[in-house]
Amino acid sequence: MPFPNVRLANRPLHFLYLCDCSGSMAAQGKMQALNQAIRQSLPGMTEVARQNPEARLLVRAVRFADQAHWHIAEPTPVEQLSWIDLEAGGVTAMGEALELVAAALQTPPMEERALPPVLVLISDGQPTDDFDRGLRTLLRQPWAQKAVRLAIALGHDADLEVLQQFIGQDPGGSGRSARRPLQAGNATSLAQYIQWASTAVVNAASMPASRMVPSAETAAPGPIPLPDLPPTVLDPTDDVGPLVW
Amino acid sequence: MTWILPLGETLQMEELSSPIRILRALGGGTQGQVFAVEVDGEALALKWYLPACLARDPQLARRLSASIRATAPNQDFLWPIALLHPTATSRAQIRCRDAGFGYLMDLRPADYVGAHEHVAGRLEISLRSVLRACFFLADAFHALHLRGLCYKDISLGNLFLQPGSGRILICDNDNVDVDGRDPGSVLGTPGFMAPEVLLGQARPGADSDLFSLAVLIFRLLTRHDPLRGQRELAIRCLDEPARRRLYGEDPLFIFDPADPSNRPDPIEHTAALITWPIYPERLKGLFEQTFCRGLRQPSLRALTGQWRRALSITLDQRQLCRACGQEVFPEPQCAGTCWSCGSPLQPVLRLQLAHGEVIAAPDNELHPHHFDALLPESLLTPLARVEAHPGDATIMGVRNLSTEPWSVELLDGAVVPLQPQKTCNLAPVRRLTTPAGAITVLR
Repeated sequence: MPFPNVRLANRPLHFLYLCDCSGSMAAQGKMQALNQAIRQSLPGMTEVARQNPEARLLVRAVRFADQAHWHIAEPTPVEQLSWIDLEAGGVTAMGEALELVAAALQTPPMEERALPPVLVLISDGQPTDDFDRGLRTLLRQPWAQKAVRLAIALGHDADLEVLQQFIGQDPGGSGRSARRPLQAGNATSLAQYIQWASTAVVNAASMPASRMVPSAETAAPGPIPLPDLPPTVLDPTDDVGPLVW
Repeated sequence: MTWILPLGETLQMEELSSPIRILRALGGGTQGQVFAVEVDGEALALKWYLPACLARDPQLARRLSASIRATAPNQDFLWPIALLHPTATSRAQIRCRDAGFGYLMDLRPADYVGAHEHVAGRLEISLRSVLRACFFLADAFHALHLRGLCYKDISLGNLFLQPGSGRILICDNDNVDVDGRDPGSVLGTPGFMAPEVLLGQARPGADSDLFSLAVLIFRLLTRHDPLRGQRELAIRCLDEPARRRLYGEDPLFIFDPADPSNRPDPIEHTAALITWPIYPERLKGLFEQTFCRGLRQPSLRALTGQWRRALSITLDQRQLCRACGQEVFPEPQCAGTCWSCGSPLQPVLRLQLAHGEVIAAPDNELHPHHFDALLPESLLTPLARVEAHPGDATIMGVRNLSTEPWSVELLDGAVVPLQPQKTCNLAPVRRLTTPAGAITVLR
């Protein structure tokens, strides 16, 4: 006499990584650190997907160097995802990557109804192609306008200005903000930000996160209120300077 | 995940004479992280707050201390046991610039699973267990509200179920406060928040709890959302402004008797269409009360006591379809058909008590409140349970779960005793006499 075989209706939640694989990523183990960070984040992401029956979490990834390519082309349920390592080499075709994502966010192939997509752009350098054209193409797509756009800057050479353009308007104020590029100075903080984007942000986009009285940060306009950034955790290695690069 | 407490190490707390050993991490969210710990050989859970959460919620320590002093409203809350601050020497072991604080609670037993597992359709669970879970939920909120407290942030995320029994555990009790005392910093979880809270016109309290409770009961009973029908289908991107319209500015109950414009879609919202007809009118009426007039008028929402009563009566009405075995809840004295296979329902034996009537169907139980109108409904101490004969499932019996012998009056006038834990075939019985009162068999 089981409960009827029905389940809560759900909507797809598209999560896309845009990963810089230019030659500079080969330096100081950055590429390996990014591969590790994404790999390590998958169990937590799977758990969040399970806890959000209203969302059907689907993951894709684009890599860009001399050109942009789909690294994971099929929207893949996170529990079926096995991360194939990215390899570094070439220049930084970030604009092309944005155009690739723009094509994927058209309807079709995008579903008629969905949750706000989450786009995470990770880069350690400056675009070498026509970034502005790529961004314009992307932002012409309604799903890209509705998307939660996050950016992680690796190391000190990342072009914070283009990453900010990708995210949207700078929220102003000082201190860390999810609406500004997240600056990962070492492997630990990179892993923390990837973890945060793939769990806390996914959770907020698919919904059940509990709401607090809005702060300046969460009240900023956007498709969803963004969760708190991960705490600055004191790492035993903090005092020795950057660990990987 | 980066854990702020050192796994495997021991910490000294101001409030405890014994050190606390951090065994392993159990999980983390935006508020804090939870660890399995050991204190004096006892296994407990410790929730430790993140600095951002503490900064936003200056009243947190005050609320937790008050809850700890007051103790849990009933057994279904995973309630805070002790507030803990690290000693000066242990502070250095905590991997945050601001060491903060946490609280101890019991560990959640492994056989309690997140309510989202049920709503996602991943759990084998009976309708009886789901209705019992809803009853326990209403009962827990009843106990909480009677103490003048409110929960503020109930959602699927802080409810756990034991699928076999329908027993529940309510976690994350750190927003509990005296109703109306302090605006607090939590607003609730979208989808469960009352419209007036979502729109910023009111802060969460007992009245908004009643709305959230109804949403949660609705979700458990239907695996669907009470406000998501045609209006949701018209939304392409379900983002923050869309949720605000759906749940705050322009909400409409999908089964509003007066306005059918937000009915569930036959393809997208099948769960609601299949499950809603299962339940009796009394129960549906409480949803209509809360989600129609009560949507805008918080004082009209169904109260915890009404839920408790309607859910316990629904459980009393439960019977099994002889054709397909499914659990059905027909209106009393109504013939009706099975919601699952459409077969006409056969007449069943009924047990008449001083305060209620219970269908003689396997696993239905008689409770003290069936005998005494002054007792509150409770499912925790059944006096009798209906059981099918192990060799012939068509023979219904009643098992004496009390500690005293009962006397059984048969149709032919003979009287036989029924010892505790024994079961008696109901077919030849006219009446059972128990210390709590009489049980008359109706045919």
